[in-house]
Amino acid sequence: MTTEMEKREQSDLLAVVTARFALSVTIPDTFFNAEAKNIAEACWAMARRFHQGGRLLAFGNGAWATDAQHVAVEFVHPVIVGKRALPALALTNDSATMSGLMTGDDATNSFARQLRIVARPQDIALGYSPDGQCNNVRSALTTAREMGLLTLGLVGGDGGSIQQSQLDFCFVVPSCDPLAIQETHETLYHVLWELVHIYFENEGLLQ
Amino acid sequence: MNNNEGSEYDRLFYPFLFEGGKASLEDVLAQVQHSTLEKCREIIALRQATLEHADAGIQIVAAGQAMARAFAHGATLLAFGNGGSSTDAQDLVTELLNPPFAHWSPLPALALTNDIAVITAVGNDVGFDNVFSRQVIAFGHKGDIAVGISTSGNSKNLLVALEQAHKQGLLTIGLTGYDGGKMLQSGNIDICINAPSDHIPRIQEAQATVYHALLEVIHTALEKGIS
Repeated sequence: MTTEMEKREQSDLLAVVTARFALSVTIPDTFFNAEAKNIAEACWAMARRFHQGGRLLAFGNGAWATDAQHVAVEFVHPVIVGKRALPALALTNDSATMSGLMTGDDATNSFARQLRIVARPQDIALGYSPDGQCNNVRSALTTAREMGLLTLGLVGGDGGSIQQSQLDFCFVVPSCDPLAIQETHETLYHVLWELVHIYFENEGLLQ
Repeated sequence: MNNNEGSEYDRLFYPFLFEGGKASLEDVLAQVQHSTLEKCREIIALRQATLEHADAGIQIVAAGQAMARAFAHGATLLAFGNGGSSTDAQDLVTELLNPPFAHWSPLPALALTNDIAVITAVGNDVGFDNVFSRQVIAFGHKGDIAVGISTSGNSKNLLVALEQAHKQGLLTIGLTGYDGGKMLQSGNIDICINAPSDHIPRIQEAQATVYHALLEVIHTALEKGIS
């Protein structure tokens, strides 16, 4: 390969990197400017649930299973010294139970069935779906709503059927790029976690 | 902690809560909304700074090309990190094994945080500093890829594992935050990309963009054919 070709390949690849970063700037900008008010309301609702002894139960498929774990660790072991530890679990961590529930012909209800056993009415259900069409996430959020949990959907695309599921909060990242949707979800759950704590400084607001 | 006084962090970042008497719900909601937008501006600024800082764009291309070359020769990628960064390591791995785009070929990868039996066995018997290096010894072959993700750049178990990987002839890639810490200075890491911030959540969000960009470079390079 000539040096000229190498240079050209490098500049093509640099354009790919620059485009990826540009997407990761414009999508959160649009999303947070549209949703900041709902995010503040969601933090308040979550703080009240934690105040009642509720726990956060998070779930998602594939790459989003790692986001379920990530949001859980933020609450359980806050990186900011002085923040209280709050109970949060990722339903995807128990691979024995999860794979067990996915065998047979009721795989679609694997998360919903876990919720029916472990969830309490004061808990918070947080489900991810990049296109809003994940059936197992939708069925779990519907079950959670029936059981009285606070329900949050973190979705993308056009919100899909999850957006139609009458959740307490459904945040739709307006993009079809799964990577940018996921990064925006990461900022969103970090913000939910960071700002839930604000309400604990004002107990009167938690009644 | 006295609820009326709040933590030092809260007094610094959320002074409205402590300015005379109880804040009303409307005030707090408005301030949380304001903080949300501020955090959005922070991540946008950090992503721009990460790309512009220290030729990071060129570094990401170089790292992605080297990783593509290694994959073309049969490499397996080993990824690891602590806490939230462990989930980012697992995210990178699952995006390689089960790519988000149909035109990306699946590539072999292993997250060293997935096996809790191994983590607790090594942690208990040897020490937490060795939980990743032990697995590098077991799984790593010359020509493989090791990716360590840290927000501080100073995690001992990452430094030890990357040193071990370097000794065994793996390509070593580091992602860091703050000033890059010891990882950025380490001679054992072939390419280290830093997200220059001192706020851990924002660092992790910028690092997600970095490894997503790495994936894009890897797949673009593989599609075009590797020399």
